[in-house]
Amino acid sequence: MLKIFKSKKDKLPKSEIITCEPQVTKEPRTKCGKPLVLDNTRWERRLHKELMSLIKEPPPGVTVDTDSIGQNLSEWKINIAGFEGTLYEGENFQLLFKFNNKYPFDSPEVTFIGNNIPVHPHVYSNGHICLSILTEDWSPALSVQSVCLSIASMLSSCREKKRPPDNTLYVKTCNKNPKKTKWWYHDDSV
Amino acid sequence: MDKIEQNDGTNRDELIMQQQREIEKEISDSTPLVSEQLPITCLNAEYLGDEVFTSKIQDLAGKYKFLRRTRPDGNCFFRAFAYAYLEHLISNKDEYLRFKDLAEKSKDKLVQLGFPSFTLEDFHDTFMEVVKRVDPASGSTDQVCDELHKVFNEQGYSDYVVVYLRLLTSGKLQEEADFYQHFIEGNFTIEEFRHQEVEPMYKESDHIHIIALCTALGVGVRVEYMDRGDTHVKAHDFPEGSTPKVFLIYRPGHYDILYPN
Repeated sequence: MLKIFKSKKDKLPKSEIITCEPQVTKEPRTKCGKPLVLDNTRWERRLHKELMSLIKEPPPGVTVDTDSIGQNLSEWKINIAGFEGTLYEGENFQLLFKFNNKYPFDSPEVTFIGNNIPVHPHVYSNGHICLSILTEDWSPALSVQSVCLSIASMLSSCREKKRPPDNTLYVKTCNKNPKKTKWWYHDDSV
Repeated sequence: MDKIEQNDGTNRDELIMQQQREIEKEISDSTPLVSEQLPITCLNAEYLGDEVFTSKIQDLAGKYKFLRRTRPDGNCFFRAFAYAYLEHLISNKDEYLRFKDLAEKSKDKLVQLGFPSFTLEDFHDTFMEVVKRVDPASGSTDQVCDELHKVFNEQGYSDYVVVYLRLLTSGKLQEEADFYQHFIEGNFTIEEFRHQEVEPMYKESDHIHIIALCTALGVGVRVEYMDRGDTHVKAHDFPEGSTPKVFLIYRPGHYDILYPN
């Protein structure tokens, strides 16, 4: 009595981008009502470890802007260079990573910033990125490095530089935080 | 697209997301990650006036003495499995030692399969810490059971255990990709399935998750299925023909722990 897993690939290949009100976040509590501190030290320890590894062995084209990193590691800027032989060769981009104290259970908030936002079918002109591992397919076993690699690969496989079809409307109506957007993921072929 | 139509859509989706958050909050406020032992008949309250379910609960109560609820957050299979198996090990010292050894070595195996060791390490360390905290030699059975219950209701530990079991499951799927590929329909590859349906938190478990995890750990699980069909609950053992050490009840979308008579 084995059940066959249904493919989810027949999802609509569109980006119905809808914003929602800022979420009222409440600190998690234990059963007896005491605020539950989700091991602050553990998320910082993990971020520290990731940072050291990125500085020591950065993937090709990726550099951490160490000056941008604050005391508590909750915001990083990362430079990413367009690969040779791709449409973005010679271009440089900057990503902003924001983490909260539920990292790595909560995904980081990742956007392109600065004056060169890549023109790409999954990147909105305000820097928001439509990439499933940044929301529903995030796993605590992923890392800053794997996010950078996914974004680099997303750029590299692009065949035509263009904005998402609903760019104008989305940029006008979206929440500042891309994680507050209910994304419909475009197909992965671009 | 017409502007008015878009606005309508926006409001509808906001309402859906809002409602989803309220439901999630209600669940986390009202249900501990893992409950105390409850009588099987506590299920009756959920199916008042429903003949099919009432008769199935009676059937179940003939075979099992208690039930332990887990929070319905999509992680319930992994959490229920881990709790029930570690609880079984508290009174089975030899098997505890076998499992501890297997768990200890599992990290290197996952690294060999290509999992990044530096994210894996944290989850493995915490998993081993939990395993060691419920060592049968560390106190009386009651004391160790209390410790298990406490640690599984601390989100910081409980969720790390869930992540590690998800990674072990994913590792098994990768290791025997040719076999597990048959259970996946369409163009969905094992790789995509692992990244989208196994490794992320809160994604529900199916037979394929259960078989992969049980096989990876060498632990038999019996699942009692309780749904609309038939008049009796239906038991299924994973892997087929194994001797079950963990007993779970499945109601559509959710797993809880059972205690046989």
